[in-house]
Amino acid sequence: MTQAITARAIPELLTWPEEGITRVPMHVFSDPELYAWEQDLIFRGPTWNFLCLEVEIPEPGEFITTHVGDSPIIVVRRKDGSISALVNRCVHKGSIICHQPKGKRTRTHNFVCPYHNWIYDFDGNLTSIAFEKGIQQKGGMTADFDKTEHRLTRLNVETINGLVFGTFSDETPPLREYLGPVMVEHIERTLHGKPKILGRYSQMMHNNWKLYIENSRDNYHPSLLHAFFSTFKLNRLSAEGGTRQDDKSWHHITFTKRYTDKGDAAYDSGMIRAQKEDFGLKDPSLIDQWMEFPDQITNSIQSIFPGFVLQQVMNSLGTRQIITHGPEKCELVWTLIGLEEDTEEQTYVRLKQSNLVGPAGLVSMEDGAIGGFVQKGIKGDLDKRAIIEMGGKSVGGMPTRATETSVRGFWKVYRELMDV
Amino acid sequence: MGVVSKRLKMNSTVVPLPKQTPIPATVRDAIATLQMQYVHAIDDDRIERWPQFFTEKCVYQIIPRVEYDQGRLIGVWFCDNRAMLEDRVSALREVNVYEPHVYRHVIGPTEIIDHADGAYHARTSYIVVRTMSDGEMSVFSAGRYVDEIVVDGETALLRKRSVVTDSYRYDTLVVIPL
Ligand code: FES
Ligand SMILES: [Fe+2]
Repeated sequence: MTQAITARAIPELLTWPEEGITRVPMHVFSDPELYAWEQDLIFRGPTWNFLCLEVEIPEPGEFITTHVGDSPIIVVRRKDGSISALVNRCVHKGSIICHQPKGKRTRTHNFVCPYHNWIYDFDGNLTSIAFEKGIQQKGGMTADFDKTEHRLTRLNVETINGLVFGTFSDETPPLREYLGPVMVEHIERTLHGKPKILGRYSQMMHNNWKLYIENSRDNYHPSLLHAFFSTFKLNRLSAEGGTRQDDKSWHHITFTKRYTDKGDAAYDSGMIRAQKEDFGLKDPSLIDQWMEFPDQITNSIQSIFPGFVLQQVMNSLGTRQIITHGPEKCELVWTLIGLEEDTEEQTYVRLKQSNLVGPAGLVSMEDGAIGGFVQKGIKGDLDKRAIIEMGGKSVGGMPTRATETSVRGFWKVYRELMDV
Repeated sequence: MGVVSKRLKMNSTVVPLPKQTPIPATVRDAIATLQMQYVHAIDDDRIERWPQFFTEKCVYQIIPRVEYDQGRLIGVWFCDNRAMLEDRVSALREVNVYEPHVYRHVIGPTEIIDHADGAYHARTSYIVVRTMSDGEMSVFSAGRYVDEIVVDGETALLRKRSVVTDSYRYDTLVVIPL
């Protein structure tokens, strides 16, 4: 169970700068051997990885396929209603077993490999081998071959508010403990009803996966790189902000709130119609919203180590899942969600605000390009180091957005898991 | 059905009706001209012209095929009036940060499927090749335009254009309309 099988030992590949987490060696964004170690020690290490939403597989026998890092995964609903996650790789010759993005096994609760029809149950046990005893006493598997010694690798699975996470490692603490109370509370707050999927697409980025994850935790850049809010004078929607982390600084939340000095109680319910004269937009209905959350937070980005983001951009709720594609490419899978409890008008607001996010997002599209800019920029200078000193040299939550504290948090965990 | 509920049902598939009456040549010409001018305006970087191909109340969306076909609502782009299209144009000119690039659209012939609710329902295949400023070229998108087109004399305007992209994956970003 390793990808780093031909990689040199990490100490030969990487020495962390003396300055610690305020410096990041550039070659961590391009080195194929470190990439292989990350697959083993991070994605298959003691971490929880987002797999799907429960609502994608409501019925027994329903499955989806996804990835954890590079590893292909099947997520399936068992007969008893629980969820199983298996590595989608046949023990015989290594073929993908499930080649559909999603589907349902109705008659038989098992998976059949398309190549030579070896059969697995939903727990990953190898239950049948085609022609095991040969044909007319000729051929067949050797007598000492024991099916029970071969099975699909199984992940441990836990869920929170309809989000399904999986981990390869038995060392990983239980999901809620891994997240910590601050993160758990925020997930429960954002997904305050029964989630339903409104849309899904993915964005291919020409950069190392860590550059995107850094970006999702970098609350220094949004007002500088993403000019949409300031150009169209939408800043007033979100004046006050800050950063939260769990105790160990593995995870991150950045948030902005409405002005709290303007009697916001009036906005507690109902639609807030944007007025044309207040904004630079020809059609400000784009930012019509309702105060969905009693905490008056209008935007929050929650980044869960290693590759998951839960977003609230006004009333646009969604998940983002990073999938690695080699050292210099990665894919971000966006799932936009609404709640079963939403009114039609609220669903329509979520639809309009979907313009703010994703690869065509008026606010977020630059994030798909900026990692590629870094990837291009560092070529030829892999001995250089990134500087991460905004907001100090340490980790921990801060009552400001002018900080890179959560980027440092990422590198703190990275060093722990990679042991550098 | 209220306006909102109607719009929320917008991705229902139009079933081609057996053709009753032939479509007048003037209508065919007007629609063909619209399709041509639309792609040329974008490819020639005259994006300011783009919103003018739409009626004032309109829908423009970009949505992956698998999503559209299962009736999901949200794709990567959704505008429900011309002013929103104009805001998109100012954003791409003045706000958004991206590497300069151009599109080359190649479109197939338009199939006019139906005339209903005062509009012609039509579909047209397209391919867009994207060329970056450093010369790198790639097939950026392929799919179909699913349109509702209002024809008045020689002028045809889009009341609704769903750009249904065959892939659900988008490379880097989609700042220029398809
Ligand atoms: S590879 Fe799966 S049965 Fe042969
Ligand atoms: Fe960003």
